[in-house]
Amino acid sequence: MASRPFGASRSRARTPVWKSVRADWDLYLLLLPGICFLLLFKYAPMYGIAIAFKDFRIFDGIAASPWVGFKHFERLIESGEFAAVLRNTLAISLLKIAILFPVPIVVAILLNEMKQMLFKRSIQTVIYLPHFLSWIIVSGLFIDLLSVNGGIVNKWLEQMGFEPVAFFLDNRYFRSVLIATAGWKETGWSTIVYLAAFSAIDPGLYEAARIDGASRFRQIWHVTLPGIAPIIVLMFILRLGSLFEAGTEQILAMYNPTVYKVSDVIGTYVYRVGLGRQEYSFTTAVGLFESVIGFILVLSGNVLSRKYLRRGIW
Amino acid sequence: MRLSRPERIFNVLNYTFFTLLGVTTLLPFVNLLAKSLSSENAVVSGNVNLLPVGLQLGTYRFVLQDAAFLNAFRVSVTLTLVGTALSLFLTTITAYPLSKTRLRGRKWLLLMFIFTMLFSGGLIPTYLLMHDLHLVNTLPVLFLPAMVNVYNMLIIKNYFEGLPDSLEESAKIDGAGHFRILFFIYVPLSLPVLATIALFFAVYFWNDYFNAMIYITNPSLKPMQLFLKELLAASSDFIRNAALNADEAMNTSPQSIQAASIIIATVPILLVYPFLQKYFVKGVLVGSVKE
Repeated sequence: MASRPFGASRSRARTPVWKSVRADWDLYLLLLPGICFLLLFKYAPMYGIAIAFKDFRIFDGIAASPWVGFKHFERLIESGEFAAVLRNTLAISLLKIAILFPVPIVVAILLNEMKQMLFKRSIQTVIYLPHFLSWIIVSGLFIDLLSVNGGIVNKWLEQMGFEPVAFFLDNRYFRSVLIATAGWKETGWSTIVYLAAFSAIDPGLYEAARIDGASRFRQIWHVTLPGIAPIIVLMFILRLGSLFEAGTEQILAMYNPTVYKVSDVIGTYVYRVGLGRQEYSFTTAVGLFESVIGFILVLSGNVLSRKYLRRGIW
Repeated sequence: MRLSRPERIFNVLNYTFFTLLGVTTLLPFVNLLAKSLSSENAVVSGNVNLLPVGLQLGTYRFVLQDAAFLNAFRVSVTLTLVGTALSLFLTTITAYPLSKTRLRGRKWLLLMFIFTMLFSGGLIPTYLLMHDLHLVNTLPVLFLPAMVNVYNMLIIKNYFEGLPDSLEESAKIDGAGHFRILFFIYVPLSLPVLATIALFFAVYFWNDYFNAMIYITNPSLKPMQLFLKELLAASSDFIRNAALNADEAMNTSPQSIQAASIIIATVPILLVYPFLQKYFVKGVLVGSVKE
């Protein structure tokens, strides 16, 4: 076989498609199941998005249901119910980002400063664990811990002279519970990316700083932080891309009607109203709204990232 | 190396901080474990802190003999094993062709896959599709959609790309087709990555409750997490507070039994945890820190 030029495009101009496919027929055969699954389970539902523009009747099917244009989107904009849901989604998501994004970075830096290997490994083993638990188990743990009848947190509060708090029923505290439990579950795990980034920093920079008389703190400030800045920005952009995902699985496992007012987010709303109340068309419109904005966010983030960091997300 | 005074103070604070962090992480478990081993009276009156009060094993005996619990456990195990095996297989055979640069149409195919990571049909269209396919209330609905996991596929693809071309070339000279190359050369060389992806899938299937919640109403098909969720919901704080009379309180599951159920459901994860930690950490590094 003659050596091929590096760029594939040149060979493409010479060989017709069917010849390439026939030559690599076993590769395409291997790919076939994956593509079938992809088309069936990922792309076929996208066709179902059409019902956002129709009055979907489940017995008539998608094609036969009447077309109503933007009626559901108008309702979306005017609906007070949805406005509250959107407010909750953004509030919870932004709170989570503001509070839970910096913490793993700080913890990673502090962890990096730990020289005692055995202690460091043990702590890492402990703090990674909650990541592997399902939200059901986590909610079970915390419903119990924060319970009014027999939960130790409330017992401590009472011992300190405060009134017991029904954390899962109180609109003033429920969002804090959501954020705190999300932090408990994911903070440890989130440090991994940053710990990996530390090892990518040139040790020579630390040497130079030490020679210049920098204390450990100054070294962190002037070498470590700038060194992981690109990864921080990348993680931040990724996080913003899922702005509308305020933790549906978590909230579904933990919320109840009493706290819908402060914790009902887009994901839970679509589930409850869409599947529960069977308002298929309207909630598909809601879902489409969320998907489109999420898509725009991730794409913009990637564009920004390529432009300023010279690397994309994929 | 002599540490300056501020640095020594920092060290002390650092170790203290992490000790507290570790304790805070473990506290809910220890508390729940204690409650599961305590008498119900002690639990409800709030006397259980970190150690069991009125030690008993009746809760565990009860849960491990409860038919519904055992069935849910069985469903989860089946789902996890079958789902992981099939998903790993599908993901690997999809990653292999996409790792070959000379594959015609590769860029477009990759784009097709990656696009689904950015945009999806949404909950309702997906549900309606499953409904039309008559997959509702079957076991396959819990793993079929998840088998196409593009993120995992990309990790394997990247790994395959890192393997030397000479492997493929020399195999071809010996007359091997791609099936043989993949299964007899690439796979044996990729065992750590494949183990990692297998664990990714396994943890996902074991922990998933959302899919079960929306598709499964048949009690004998309910996996563990859904079973637990319903157990907790039946006597969540909400009802505990609202149920002021003894009758209603009787119908809800005792807290100590709930605690035991949760602990038992956590055991499989804990057993596999050492492997999880080792392979997952590697997986995260491979997946996210790309050059």
